[in-house]
Amino acid sequence: MNDYANPWGYRLQWMYLLLVVTTLMSPVFYVMYVSFNENGFGAAEYVFTLEWYGVIFTDKLMMNALGWTLSLAVVTTVVTVPFAVLAAKFYKTARSKVWVVFLLLSPLFVAADIFGAALLVYFKNLNHTLVWVGDWMDTGVMDGWFKLGFTTAWIGLIIYTIPYAFIVVLITMGRYKVQQTEAARACGATAWRAFWDIEFPQIRPGVMSACAFTVILCFNEYTRTSLLKGGFDTFTTVLVSQMLNEGMSEQSYAMSSFVSFLAIAAIGSIILWTLVRSEKLGAEARAKAAPVAS
Amino acid sequence: MILIDRLARGAFLLPLVFMLVFFALPIALTAVWSVFERTMFWMEPGFTLFAYENFFTSARLWNFLASMYHSLIAVVICLVLGFPIAVFVHRRVPQVAQHRVVLLFILPFMVSEIIRIFALRPVLQRNGLVNETLQYLGITSEPITSILFTPTGVIIGEVLSFLPFIVFSGFLAMEAVPKYIFEVCEDLGASTFRIYKDVILPLAAPGIFAGSVFIFVNGIGVALLPNILGGPGAVNAGLIATQAIVALDFPLAMAVSAIMMVTLFGLLYLGHRLFDLTTILEPAR
Amino acid sequence: MSIAVETRALTKHYGSVRALDGVDVTIRAGEYFVLLGPSGGGKTTLLRTIGGFHRPTSGQVLLHGTDVSDQPPDKRPTGMVFQAYALFPHMTVAQNVGYGLRLAKLPSDQIADKVATMLETVGLDGLGNRKPHELSGGQQQRVQLARALVLDRDILLLDEPLAALDAQLRKDMCLELKHLQEKVGITFIHVTHNQEEAMTVADRIALIADGKLVEQGSAREVYEAPNRRFTASFVGENNLLDGRITSVSGGIATVETGGGAISLPSIDTASQGAKAAVSIRSELVALSTAEDAQISGTYVESVYLGLTTSHRVALADGSQITARVVSGTGATPEPGAPVHLSWPADAARLHID
Repeated sequence: MNDYANPWGYRLQWMYLLLVVTTLMSPVFYVMYVSFNENGFGAAEYVFTLEWYGVIFTDKLMMNALGWTLSLAVVTTVVTVPFAVLAAKFYKTARSKVWVVFLLLSPLFVAADIFGAALLVYFKNLNHTLVWVGDWMDTGVMDGWFKLGFTTAWIGLIIYTIPYAFIVVLITMGRYKVQQTEAARACGATAWRAFWDIEFPQIRPGVMSACAFTVILCFNEYTRTSLLKGGFDTFTTVLVSQMLNEGMSEQSYAMSSFVSFLAIAAIGSIILWTLVRSEKLGAEARAKAAPVAS
Repeated sequence: MILIDRLARGAFLLPLVFMLVFFALPIALTAVWSVFERTMFWMEPGFTLFAYENFFTSARLWNFLASMYHSLIAVVICLVLGFPIAVFVHRRVPQVAQHRVVLLFILPFMVSEIIRIFALRPVLQRNGLVNETLQYLGITSEPITSILFTPTGVIIGEVLSFLPFIVFSGFLAMEAVPKYIFEVCEDLGASTFRIYKDVILPLAAPGIFAGSVFIFVNGIGVALLPNILGGPGAVNAGLIATQAIVALDFPLAMAVSAIMMVTLFGLLYLGHRLFDLTTILEPAR
Repeated sequence: MSIAVETRALTKHYGSVRALDGVDVTIRAGEYFVLLGPSGGGKTTLLRTIGGFHRPTSGQVLLHGTDVSDQPPDKRPTGMVFQAYALFPHMTVAQNVGYGLRLAKLPSDQIADKVATMLETVGLDGLGNRKPHELSGGQQQRVQLARALVLDRDILLLDEPLAALDAQLRKDMCLELKHLQEKVGITFIHVTHNQEEAMTVADRIALIADGKLVEQGSAREVYEAPNRRFTASFVGENNLLDGRITSVSGGIATVETGGGAISLPSIDTASQGAKAAVSIRSELVALSTAEDAQISGTYVESVYLGLTTSHRVALADGSQITARVVSGTGATPEPGAPVHLSWPADAARLHID
C-alpha cells in the first residue's frame, strides 16, 4: 500500500467489507438470538433460556441423526482428502490439465438437486443391473451394494466435497517447492518417503483445513444427502423436515443455532490459530525470501 | 517391485476414475434416461420425447425461465457488491492477512445454506426483523409484505447465500493481476473506472466468469430457495426436478437435469473459449 | 584413470523442443567437471538427466560403467546440490544433513557422529540445531553440501549452486568448493553460466549450448585456444570477425572480413572459399602504428573498468573491435581519429563451423 493513498478510502472499504460480512451473518445471529428465548419467535417478552438446546439432546431422533451425520462426515473426509491430495499431485504433472480440472471441479457447477436426482436414478439402475448380473451368475452377493443408504449418501458427499478439498490442497501445494522432493530423492528417499517425510509436513496445514472444511460441508449438506440416504436421517434432514412440516419451531431455532455455533467455532479457531502462527511465519517468510550474503 | 510401482501409479488415477464413474457417467446418462418412458413407479427403456414436451408446454417453463432471469439479477448484484471487496483485499490488505480476511467470508458459508435460507423467513416476513426495525425507526408505518414470498425474496436469498463465492472466486481471479499494475496505472493517471475496465476485468475475467456461473447455476438449481422464499408457484429447475422425483416421474426429472447440464456445459465451454478457465488455478506471479 | 560418468548419444525431447541432442560426454573419476553454457542451453537438463530427474528420450547414462538410464534418483550413486530452496525447512540443520543416513537406517549415534564431522568439514561447526531460515545463503549452501557428501557417494552434482549468492560471496565460495573437492576427492559435476566461476573450480570445462556439447577442455585450453566459434564467443572477451577464406597456403589462411583482410595460422578444415570466423582475445589486441597494423579503423570510445580499459574501434563495415589494456598504459586517441590495431601472429584463431 503506498504512502500517499487516502487513509479514509482504506477505512471506508474496510467498513464496507465488515458490513457485508455482518449482513451475511445477520439472519444467523438473529436465529441464535431467538433460540435463547423461552417464548420463541415474535413473542413480546424475551426470557433467556437454554431450554430448547436441552430438548435437542434428549430427543432420541435428533441424537440418532447426529450420530449418522458424524459417521458420514468422517468416512467422507477419510476418502475425499486423500483423493484431493492424489489428484493435486497428479494435476501438477499432468499434460492435459484442462481435463483434470474440469472433471474435478465440475461438481461445483452442478446444482445439488440436479445432481442428487441424477445420482439417485443412476444408483437405482446400477442396482437393477447388478441384480440382473447376479442372477445371471447365480449369486446374490452384489444385490445390496448400491441400495439407497449409507453407501450412496457417502458417494454423493465425496463427489460434493472433492472440488473444495482439491482447491484447498492445490493452493497449499502451490507454496511447496518441488526442489525439496528432488533433494529428498537425491538423498535416497523413494517417492513415498519423500512425500511423507518432506512434502506432507509442509502441506499439513492445508490438508487439515481441507479435512475441517469437508467435515463441515458434510454436516451442513442437505439436498444430496436427503435424496441419496434411503432410510436413515441426518441432522440436517431432520431439521429441514421439521421446518417444512411444522414451521420454525423453537426447537428448530435451537438446532440451527447449535450447528451454526459449531461451524463458527471451527472457522473462528482456524482464524485465531493462523493469527497466532502468523508472527512466527512472518519472520520465517521474511528470512526465507532473501538468502542474504554473509 | 514393478507391480507396486504400477499400483502406485494407478493410485493417482483413482480419484479421476471415481469421478468418472460416479459423476461424469450419471450426468451423461441423464440424457439417455430423459427419453425413457415413464411407468407407474419407475421407467422403461424406450425413446420418447414426452418428458420434454411435458416440460416445454407446461406453465413450468415460464417459471423456469423467470427463475433464470432472477438468478441472473442475483449474479449481477453479487458482482457489484462482492467483487470490489475482492479487489480491495488483494490490493490493500497486507499479504499475510489476506487469507484470514477471505476466511471471514467462509463463516456465512460454513453455516448450512439451509439454515441461512430458513433464517431469512423470520427476518423478512411480515412481523420479521426487517419490518420490526423499519417500523421502530419510523421509516415505515406498515409492514412491507412484498419482500418474502416473491421473486424479491428469492433474489435476496440467492445474494445472501452466494455472495461469499464471488468474494472467493474474485479473490482467486485477482491473483492474476500483479500488484505493480496498480502503481503503474496510478502513475499514468488512470481513473478507477479505467483501471477496472482495462486492467482488472480482462485479467480477472476467468475467475469472475467461473464465480458467476457457479452462482447462476446454483441459483436455478437449489430447490429450497423458491420453496421457502418464493411465492406460490415459484419454481426453479431444482425444484421441478425434486418434485418430479417425489411424483415418481423420473424421465421428467432427468429431462430437467439434462437441460441444466447442457446449459451449464455450454456456459463453461463458452467461458473456456473466451477466457481459458485453467488460469484460475495457476495465477501469474 | 577410471571413468565416473559417461553419456552416450544422450537425447531428451519435450514435444518439439530438443533439450539435449545426442550428447556424448566422458567424466573421469575424481575430477572437477564443469558444464558451462548459456541459460536454456541444456546444461541443467544434462545434469539432471545424469542425476535421474529426467528420463532420456534416447541414449544412455553410465555411472561407473553401469547403465543407469532406467534408475530413479534414489537408486543412483549420485548426490545433488540445488540452487536454492532445497533444504527441508521443518528440520534442523543436523536433521537435514542426517536425512539420507536415516533413510539408510544407520543407528542414530553413528548418524550423529557423521553429521558432526561433516558439519565441521564444511565449516558449520556448532550450527546443527539451527533451522535453515536462520542461516545465511552461503551457510545454506554448505548445509546442502554436507547433506550430500555425508552419504559417501562418488559423484556430486551441483546445479548452479552459487547463482543465488551475491558476487563477493560467490568468489569466496568458489575457492572453497575447489578446496573441498580436492579434500574429499570425489567427482564433482558443476553447472554454471558464469565463466569466472567455471574457470576457478574446473579441471575440465564442457560447453553446452542448444542441447549439444560444443567443446570441452581444461580452463586454459578453452580460454586460450578455443576451437569452435561458439566457445570463442562465450568464454573470454573475444573479438569475432566473420568472413570468407580467400586463400590457404603454407599454413597461413587469409580471411576477408568486413574490416579488412586478416592473415592467421590455418587449421586442417580450412579451404579456400569457405565461410569462417576469426577470434582474437581483446587483451591481445593493441593500438599500434600504421606499419605494424593488421587492421585499421576509427576510434569510438574508451571504457574504464578499473583494472582494464577497453578501447573500442569501429571498422570499415561498421562493426566494432575491442582492445583491452591495463588501465594507465598507453595513450587514448581522440574519438573519430583513425587508429591501427595489431596482435601477435598466433593470437588470432580460425573457426570453421
